[in-house]
Amino acid sequence: MKAVGARLPRYDGVGHVTGRTRFVDDVRIPGTLWAKALRSPHPHAGIKRLDTSKAEKHPGVHAVITHKDVPRNVYGHLEALGVPADEPLLADDDVRYKGQPIAVVAAEDEATALEAVELIEVEFEEREPVFDIRKAYDADAKPFHQWGPAFPHFGPYASRRIRKGDVDDAFERADVIVQGVYRPQAIEQLPIEPQVGLSVPEPDGRLTIYSCTQAMYFSMGVVAAHLEWPLNKLKFVGGTVGGGFGGKVDTATETITALLALKANRPVKWRWTREEEFLCSSTRAPWHMELADAVTSDGWLLGRKMITLHDAGAYTRFSSYGVTKHSFHHTGAYTIPNLRFDGYVIYTNRSPTSAMRGFGVTSVSYAVEIHMNRIAETLGIDPLELRLKNANRIGDLTANRVRLSDPSTVPVVLAAADRIGYELGAEFKQMTSEPRSGDLLPDHLLTSVARDGGAETDGRGA
Amino acid sequence: MRLTVNGIERELSTRPLDTLLNALREELGITSPKAGCQQGGCGACTVLIDGEPRRSCLTPLVAVDGATVTTVEALGEPGNLSPVQAAFYEQYGLQCGFCTPGFVLATTAMLERNANPSREQILEELVGHVCRCTGYVKIVAAVEAAARGDVSEAALEAGATGPSRREPEVLVPGSPA
Ligand code: FES
Ligand code: FES
Repeated sequence: MKAVGARLPRYDGVGHVTGRTRFVDDVRIPGTLWAKALRSPHPHAGIKRLDTSKAEKHPGVHAVITHKDVPRNVYGHLEALGVPADEPLLADDDVRYKGQPIAVVAAEDEATALEAVELIEVEFEEREPVFDIRKAYDADAKPFHQWGPAFPHFGPYASRRIRKGDVDDAFERADVIVQGVYRPQAIEQLPIEPQVGLSVPEPDGRLTIYSCTQAMYFSMGVVAAHLEWPLNKLKFVGGTVGGGFGGKVDTATETITALLALKANRPVKWRWTREEEFLCSSTRAPWHMELADAVTSDGWLLGRKMITLHDAGAYTRFSSYGVTKHSFHHTGAYTIPNLRFDGYVIYTNRSPTSAMRGFGVTSVSYAVEIHMNRIAETLGIDPLELRLKNANRIGDLTANRVRLSDPSTVPVVLAAADRIGYELGAEFKQMTSEPRSGDLLPDHLLTSVARDGGAETDGRGA
Repeated sequence: MRLTVNGIERELSTRPLDTLLNALREELGITSPKAGCQQGGCGACTVLIDGEPRRSCLTPLVAVDGATVTTVEALGEPGNLSPVQAAFYEQYGLQCGFCTPGFVLATTAMLERNANPSREQILEELVGHVCRCTGYVKIVAAVEAAARGDVSEAALEAGATGPSRREPEVLVPGSPA
């Protein structure tokens, strides 16, 4: 524990202040070509015709790739975990979001590559796009994926489900039912270093890939899968990321530069513009969350029903992972004994969404905390005291039946109250996280406290 | 086009209407100015032109013919940091480091002009620089430390490999030159 509380110099700080830190864009390999993509101008359209022949003949162009050049075009980020793939590396017979890559050119410089992109001929048949998750979830919405409007791969279920206790009974016993709908919108992660990748064909037949990914070995697996190559032919150089915040978890440039580099037999760099970052890169997802809580007039949360619609955008990527994390947190920092949660991954024609700091969790925390205030307002009780009353305590079981051994709700709420000079009732000021007893263990919570010898986990697993 | 870059006079073949950013990065291989947005919005491409911070992504090469250009490579090097570089290093005014060269140059130019800036002046001066990692608190602390001269010897010498470059090793004190 030498590091905790100590001021340790940053190991990379000297490189940063002297300009010597080598980011991907700073790697200099002689003969490097520049890549530029033809991206879909439409959020949803069929591709009737695609002709790259003029671009290929343009002076200074060394390679053009389309879906036909990808040994395995459709590969999913979570496929190795058994979650089916739904996204082509390069669009095949349709495009499902504005900015989706269709063809990519490698040329002597960026200007030449852009000229060649202009020469690619493509004929679209525009289709009706859907941008709102709630509308996409409607019974009469027109789905554009084989599975319908929702990606149905949560084990045997079409949604991430949580069932705990008897939620119908809780709603019957409730004094009040408090409802709310919460819809946080998309956010661009916006690292200052845009997406950039550089692939270099080596004389021994291997590829060296300079990558700004946040997930090196993961990206390596994705590239190998698309190329149908063994991992030992790939060398990844990474670890220097000019900001990511979740936006560099997807494998954005590596596979395409690899394919171009192999086709041109030259190093190929693809650096996105800021405009591409905003228009085409993955964002934090928009969410639609509906909550209904069964509460007693003195402020106990008896039960919660919740439906979450997660906006995957046009393809799922890590969506099911985000929704799973979301589901574990849907009671917030509070103990609610009776639960029914359904989380759906919904397709829209927005750019695919992905990780961003607190993937899946910030959305539900936002909804839950606003909902707590709404409950307090409805009941006319103090919002902090409502939180303390229902706070997680040692021995409580979470939504996914993890036994809490060190919950922090009580000390955090008390510290926050103290810092803002908030007056709490005497009984609340004394509160600790100690296991429930007496007034804090009403009958309805008996089923939410771990029993001795119970089969519950120690709080580490999920 | 002729430029004096970090003290060396250069004859450049980059097209006159191309950007100074591209000339520095692609022709001269000086990679500390970063292509963050190439639209003038982030400040990552900042260099000093005749001592003033300018966005190299918006500067056509022809507009700076004959000028003197300075990048962080010329301020100091590992083992011999400039006070501003040392302050950013020591006060944690950086995380990923992508915005850092721009901030360091803008700070250096500001302190040349005004050795004792107020907090408001610092914020005003750095307003065009975007950092997505630090939240700016530590950056402002670094600028204030640099202005106060509150920089440790260890920070100035951080990154040294061989013997210190600041105090050359002396075997026989006072030995004739
Ligand atoms: S790259 Fe010049 S201001 Fe962003
Ligand atoms: S340190 Fe990452 S953007 Fe400033």
